[in-house]
Amino acid sequence: MARSDVRAAGLPRFLRAFALVLVLIFFLFPIAWIFLMSFQSNEQILRIPPHLLFTPTLMNYRALISGKLITAAGSLDLPFMRNLGNSALLSAASVALSLLLGVPAAYAFARFRFRLGENIAFTLLSFRFAPPLLVLLPLSLYFQELGLANTYVGLIWVYQLICLPLILWIVRSYFEDLSPDVEYAYRVDGHSWWRAFTRIAIPLAGPGIAAAGLLAFIFAWNNFVFALILASADKQPVTVGALAFVTASGIQYGQIAAAIVLSILPTLALALYAQRWLVEGLSLGAVKG
Amino acid sequence: MSESAEIALHQRAGVAASRGARLLPYALSLPALLVCIGILIPFGTAAWYSLQRYNLAMPFTRGFIGWSGYLDVLSDPDFWNTVEVSAIYTLATVVLELLLGLGIALLLRERTRLNNIVSIALLLPLMTAPAIAALMWKLMTNPGFGVLSWIVGAFGLTNFKWASDPNTAMLTVVLVDIWVYTPFMMILLLAGLRSLPTQPFEAARLDGVPGRFVFFRITLPMLMPYIVTATLFRLLDSIQQFDIIYAMTQGGPGDSLMVFQVRAYLEFFQYTNVGRSAVLMMILWAITYALSNVFVKQWLKLRERSHGAQ
Amino acid sequence: MSDKIKAMFEDFVAGRVGRRELLRDAARFGIGASAAGMLLNAAQTRALAADYDWKAHQGKALKVLLNKHPYADAMIADIESFKNLTGMSVTWDIFPEDVYFDKVTAALSSHSTEYDAFMTGAYQTWQYGPAGWLVDLDEYLKNPAKLAPNYDWDGILAGLRSSTAWSGKPGDALGGPGAKQWCLPWGFEVNNVSYNQRIFDKVGVHMPKNLPDMLEVAAKITKDAGGPYGIGVRGSRSWATIHPGFLSGYTNYGGKDFEVRGGKLKAAMNSPQSKEFTKLWVEMIQKSGPKNWATYTWYQVGTDLGAGASGMIYDADILGYFMDGGDNKERGHLAYGAFAANPNETAPTANVWIWSLAMSNFSKNKDAAWDFIQWATGTDHLLFGARKMDMVNPVRTKIWEDPEFKEKISKYPGYLEQYTATAPKARIYFTPQPLFFNLTTDWAAALQQMVAKQVPVDEGLDKLAASIDRQLKSAGLG
Repeated sequence: MARSDVRAAGLPRFLRAFALVLVLIFFLFPIAWIFLMSFQSNEQILRIPPHLLFTPTLMNYRALISGKLITAAGSLDLPFMRNLGNSALLSAASVALSLLLGVPAAYAFARFRFRLGENIAFTLLSFRFAPPLLVLLPLSLYFQELGLANTYVGLIWVYQLICLPLILWIVRSYFEDLSPDVEYAYRVDGHSWWRAFTRIAIPLAGPGIAAAGLLAFIFAWNNFVFALILASADKQPVTVGALAFVTASGIQYGQIAAAIVLSILPTLALALYAQRWLVEGLSLGAVKG
Repeated sequence: MSESAEIALHQRAGVAASRGARLLPYALSLPALLVCIGILIPFGTAAWYSLQRYNLAMPFTRGFIGWSGYLDVLSDPDFWNTVEVSAIYTLATVVLELLLGLGIALLLRERTRLNNIVSIALLLPLMTAPAIAALMWKLMTNPGFGVLSWIVGAFGLTNFKWASDPNTAMLTVVLVDIWVYTPFMMILLLAGLRSLPTQPFEAARLDGVPGRFVFFRITLPMLMPYIVTATLFRLLDSIQQFDIIYAMTQGGPGDSLMVFQVRAYLEFFQYTNVGRSAVLMMILWAITYALSNVFVKQWLKLRERSHGAQ
Repeated sequence: MSDKIKAMFEDFVAGRVGRRELLRDAARFGIGASAAGMLLNAAQTRALAADYDWKAHQGKALKVLLNKHPYADAMIADIESFKNLTGMSVTWDIFPEDVYFDKVTAALSSHSTEYDAFMTGAYQTWQYGPAGWLVDLDEYLKNPAKLAPNYDWDGILAGLRSSTAWSGKPGDALGGPGAKQWCLPWGFEVNNVSYNQRIFDKVGVHMPKNLPDMLEVAAKITKDAGGPYGIGVRGSRSWATIHPGFLSGYTNYGGKDFEVRGGKLKAAMNSPQSKEFTKLWVEMIQKSGPKNWATYTWYQVGTDLGAGASGMIYDADILGYFMDGGDNKERGHLAYGAFAANPNETAPTANVWIWSLAMSNFSKNKDAAWDFIQWATGTDHLLFGARKMDMVNPVRTKIWEDPEFKEKISKYPGYLEQYTATAPKARIYFTPQPLFFNLTTDWAAALQQMVAKQVPVDEGLDKLAASIDRQLKSAGLG
């Protein structure tokens, strides 16, 4: 971006650096603390006052990855890695379906003005504000009858409530900002609208699609109420899995911390991978109308 | 672009006449709608529940009562407390997150390697599920073992009770919400900022326009559609906040954090009062519907203006 | 296996020879301890099978819904003996305690046929039972053809048997006339004091005798222990804040939740006894409770005791028991005592939480599910759980007399004594009614307001009672 914007913010360089440091401390200190906790035993975590120095242990990770938790009550099986797999499957499949459905729809709303178009767009948005609690009981009744209860397909369908409106409306914003002229020129050359859509519009809206997809993935990943209510224990995501360390014989804080770290990793990897599109973006100025 | 963007691309391409082309936008958007429409059926069922006296634990008292379930709720002072608490929570979180998110996005606007890494790192709070993160916040604000309690204690606030004191409970959960969701605002606004066209800024630079003027007259108006979208989604989520508040305080102390979803959750899952829960949810739905309507209208207006201006 | 060896183990199971003789004889035949255990198990299985057809549902598959809890762990550890006994297969879904009852409510309210039996508390059955989601287990208990002759229903503590039975009519006494047995007791907890002997010795205090004494002891710990606060009790906005120490002490002071007159309920939270008790309780928390009391649940109360952040707790005895092990810093320093809050009372009136097993009315294998429940709450499995796992407190009096269990529990100073002193009057002291969770949650919210000094105790309780009466009326109960 142009140099002028640096001045546009109206702050001298050292003040900007100072502000950034404050921001980083606020947002990352709790994460760093959780990271440190994940290498401590419960006894080390529960000290008064809290300590910064400790002898690190890998026992939390070992317990999570091997699936065996050793507590006062003996050795217990932990399906944490399975939870992690479920989260990955549910989130990835839901976002993929949402992208498949949402990107063409977003394109339609951005490019065409058609009868009932805005109504359909608003209806799709309104799924985002149907409070999940409202639909859960009837939904679980219908799922029993349809045979969708306790299936991944049923869950992925319900996850569209989280992913689809988000993807649709964010991607729409980006399509709206792209000038139709480039597509127009391309089509005048004799290409079909489909080629214009896939070869021109989608690549140009890449940052928007990446941002929307990533955010939808995160929201799907963080959800737990749908799977909890609609599926049995073997299909639970990592959010429910992490609650298993809150037991009658105590909260295993070290393992929760390790569970958070492990459950962040896949999303973080995805964010780093998507970074190219996400924050680098494309120089869109050239194609603006 | 001189023509209005409302004119469909394919019409200008001269293919408007065909029937297939007229149906194209429907063909593109209907699959999404059809996949979601199934959800409308349980939604209708829930609306029907809201018109009934329906407590699962008292099956023999079940019956149609029409609007009186709504009247009961609306005449309950606890309900108006819920409205007030929800409004404060939503307003505080959305406004603060917008300002903070915008500020951070501006700081990170330049496309440098450092900025890119920082912006990904700042997404980390969003990646920790709020329900689990709240457990950690509860530990970190524990008066004995909590690192945050220890830090504020070092600043002399030794008796700060965080979520346990009615005076600071709201502050505490808003703080956690800001921590979790500001990155959401930040990333959307950052992506928006970086996709803005460069010409207006270059022109302003050449003319020697002062920075403040550039921000308020160029950056902000051009960013507005993104701000509206990001705010809308944050608003929809914030007004329905459950995880953070329930995990931190279960709506207490007293009634100080009894927002809509916490109340509706308790009515449903703990009190098995399906009818009352449905009433609360329908009212919440109506509020969010109205708010989103306002936002979307505003958004469409902004869209037209920004296209028209070009 | 030779008949002689087989006969030897059968003699033991029948009680004709003792454990020591059995092991000695077994060793003579060259049978080691673990093999002896297996043979013993087989003999017990045969003994059970002798007078009841445990194989009647052979080949059937059951699925049970469990909360992540030491009781469930004990059950899973012993599940092979059920499979061997019945020839059935069992699978289970375990959900974290935090969300467990949400899952149960969701599964039952959607009439899911997935689960045949599930863990529940007695309070929850006040909703599930009248909702028509549970099977009245009296149908089995009172049918000699369906009850294993050695099940020994009367061997379960009387207070627990009655506390899990209710007619469904709001205000009717638990276990009274017309009561239906909604679930069978499996493991339970009484609410008493668990304390940190190390801190007590350091400060020079003793196990409190009654509530006024507790206030003094707690204040002294807060003042002199150099960090730890005096007393841990729960305080979150939940029914769970009311049912442990609070209701036990409240009852001891003569407080009642409701007056029942002519089938109608009237709130009694503002009676003079209640006000007297509540004032002391609120003062105790304000002066010597945890600073973040209003967010305190079972977990925080326990964690603080285990980590030495609190001097004592007035909560479930098994919470103190769990904190006396694992990687808790204060393991080995905890002690237990029976607590009668009222200075004029000598016997504690402990309210209880009973983890129980119930049968889903939507199960397609009810008779088979019954065999499972019967096995899981039967003497053999409970004995296994008590000896080998953390199945405390056992619901069967016989197990408390078992030498092996006694020896194990004697390592927890005062545990057996507090139990013995409390057991006779241990039962649920709430009046059963379908609004239990609403009204106790409101009760907790009112306590929070009093502790935060938003409202004086007298006024707060009057307001609470008025609000509860209003809700009772509108639900047709008051």
